[in-house]
Amino acid sequence: MDVKITKLFFIFVSMLLCVCCFDDTDFDQANDVLVTPAIELDLIYFNLEASKFYDYTNNTEILVVQDTTDLDFLGGNDIANILKGADFFFEFTNSIPRSFNVSFDFLNQDNVSKYLMQTTVASATADQPVVSYFIQSLDELQIKELTKAKKVLVTVTIPSSSQDLTGVLNLQSKTTYYLQIEQ
Amino acid sequence: MKKFLFIFLFLGVSTVVCQNKQVLYNWEVTPQTLLLNPGSLVTSQFHAGIPLASGFHINVGSSGVSVFDVFADDGIDINTKITNTISRLSSRDFFTINQQLDVLNFGWLSKGFEPMYFSGGIYQELDVIAYFPKDLAILAWEGNRNYIGKAFDFSHVSARADVLTVYHFGVNKQVSKKLTAGVRLKLYSSMISVSSTRNKGAFKTTERVGSNNIYEHTVTDLDMEVNTSGFISLDGLEQPQVSKKLLGRALLGGNLGIGIDAGITYQFDKQLSLTASVLDLGAIFHTKDTESYKAKGDYTLDGIELIFPELENDQSTIPYYDNLEDDIVREIPIDTLNTGYTQLRPTKINAGLHYDFGRFVGDKGGCNCKNKGTKQKRVSQAGVQYFSIFRPGGLQLAGTLYYNRRLGNALSIKTTYTIDSYSAKNIGAGMFLNIQGVNLFLAADNLLQMSNLAKANSVSLQVGLNYILN
Repeated sequence: MDVKITKLFFIFVSMLLCVCCFDDTDFDQANDVLVTPAIELDLIYFNLEASKFYDYTNNTEILVVQDTTDLDFLGGNDIANILKGADFFFEFTNSIPRSFNVSFDFLNQDNVSKYLMQTTVASATADQPVVSYFIQSLDELQIKELTKAKKVLVTVTIPSSSQDLTGVLNLQSKTTYYLQIEQ
Repeated sequence: MKKFLFIFLFLGVSTVVCQNKQVLYNWEVTPQTLLLNPGSLVTSQFHAGIPLASGFHINVGSSGVSVFDVFADDGIDINTKITNTISRLSSRDFFTINQQLDVLNFGWLSKGFEPMYFSGGIYQELDVIAYFPKDLAILAWEGNRNYIGKAFDFSHVSARADVLTVYHFGVNKQVSKKLTAGVRLKLYSSMISVSSTRNKGAFKTTERVGSNNIYEHTVTDLDMEVNTSGFISLDGLEQPQVSKKLLGRALLGGNLGIGIDAGITYQFDKQLSLTASVLDLGAIFHTKDTESYKAKGDYTLDGIELIFPELENDQSTIPYYDNLEDDIVREIPIDTLNTGYTQLRPTKINAGLHYDFGRFVGDKGGCNCKNKGTKQKRVSQAGVQYFSIFRPGGLQLAGTLYYNRRLGNALSIKTTYTIDSYSAKNIGAGMFLNIQGVNLFLAADNLLQMSNLAKANSVSLQVGLNYILN
């Protein structure tokens, strides 16, 4: 009796183990996993008063104003390896009766330009603010250069100025970063 | 392939519902039932487990997704399947691993003035549960571009992992003809523990609501904490030193805790009985080798504002980016603490209503010789069982219908049908073999999925080898 039961037990166990399997699956698909988040992030903004373009002490025009900020997150191999594209979006609202040239020069640690964007901002008309847009999409090759940069130099150029000039040049900006993370 | 699966299964890399051991519960022929209900009816005079082989159990379960859902060889791009899976899962879905290994297990009947059955032993346990952090998974997988205005909830982050040894000693006594009660004292020695539960806060990107810039990225009411113990001192150690340290902790050298199991069996009559138990009602006090990380605060980011300062010669520019980083660190500081903390054990509750029927079994007329006349074993038993476990995300429940058939004293078979968080069609079975007092049991879960484990949310395997003297 015991022998039969023992056989029965082990037959059951063997059956249990033999029927177990992973069917209709392909674990090699794990190599194809691609994480592709698209991240929307604010970039820079400013409110540049017309008075910034005139030196009231010396009564002279200031035709070019500049400012710069580090953008540490852009540079480095880690981001260069996963950043596959980026859309830069700049929105200018200009209430100064002048047009402007605005450039965004992405510099590396040694202040060498790695990528330059330039645009023109339309002049305000009859004291009505004018909204202009500038959109620049970077492909993978351009991204390679951009990710060598560590900071951005913003240059705003006005063709002429005077002490009576009033208004504000406002910039709001954002970037969409397209990441691609492979296994 | 089958050899691989044999090893796979033998090592117990299979899954079961949380820590529910519905096949073993109230299977009065195994000593392990005493670990599930210290108030079980005990029919043996003595038992001793084969060291390191008396009981082994492991779970790997997922409440909302199977391997097949992601890795099916169906021609659909795996990234599409992952996207669909993330979409389908909720933050209440969870992944669990639970493994227990009996190091020692013994028990004996003390025939004093008041007969009592004492039992004790040591087992090692690994217990991991991680809830699916749905919002953060969406953010990581897709980014925030398509989710402007959505609050990504940090409370979805909830996970806990423990490796510990448990020293236990219990006593079981038939209080009256109808009532058997038992209690087990447990001493926990934690080897490694990490947990992050009760987090809160949200991250949201909103568009032009009084913002200085196009977006406003806000982190509101953030309060997150990760507690660890047993990790710092392992940092930088070689593998042999790590093993030595862990062994020391296993031998009561870790963070200690205390707990209690209690249970009863109540016989309404010779056929109908009720069992109930509460397990791991206790806590571990993490006082040594602890490190906790806490982040708390609110922050709003709207980009970097340039103010075009008028700079004198050699005057450096404003460090906008550094200032931004400083602001974030000031508003949401991440503190590292080495204070102790107390962690409750995941308490489990079992209960069952059992009905014996059929002819009597056993060569002594089926009598319970320890407690003569109290209950005679019959060939069949059927009943219902309840299981619940307190987890960080709330109570997890399971209900089981079962049938247990005894074929003489040599073989006992139990089959179960369970509904739980993983499945509504979980069929399990167990076989217990007794050869001259040497007992081998094997219990498996989710048998309907055995033909293709990839489609199973959970499957289980429990094996054990004991010597029982009746």
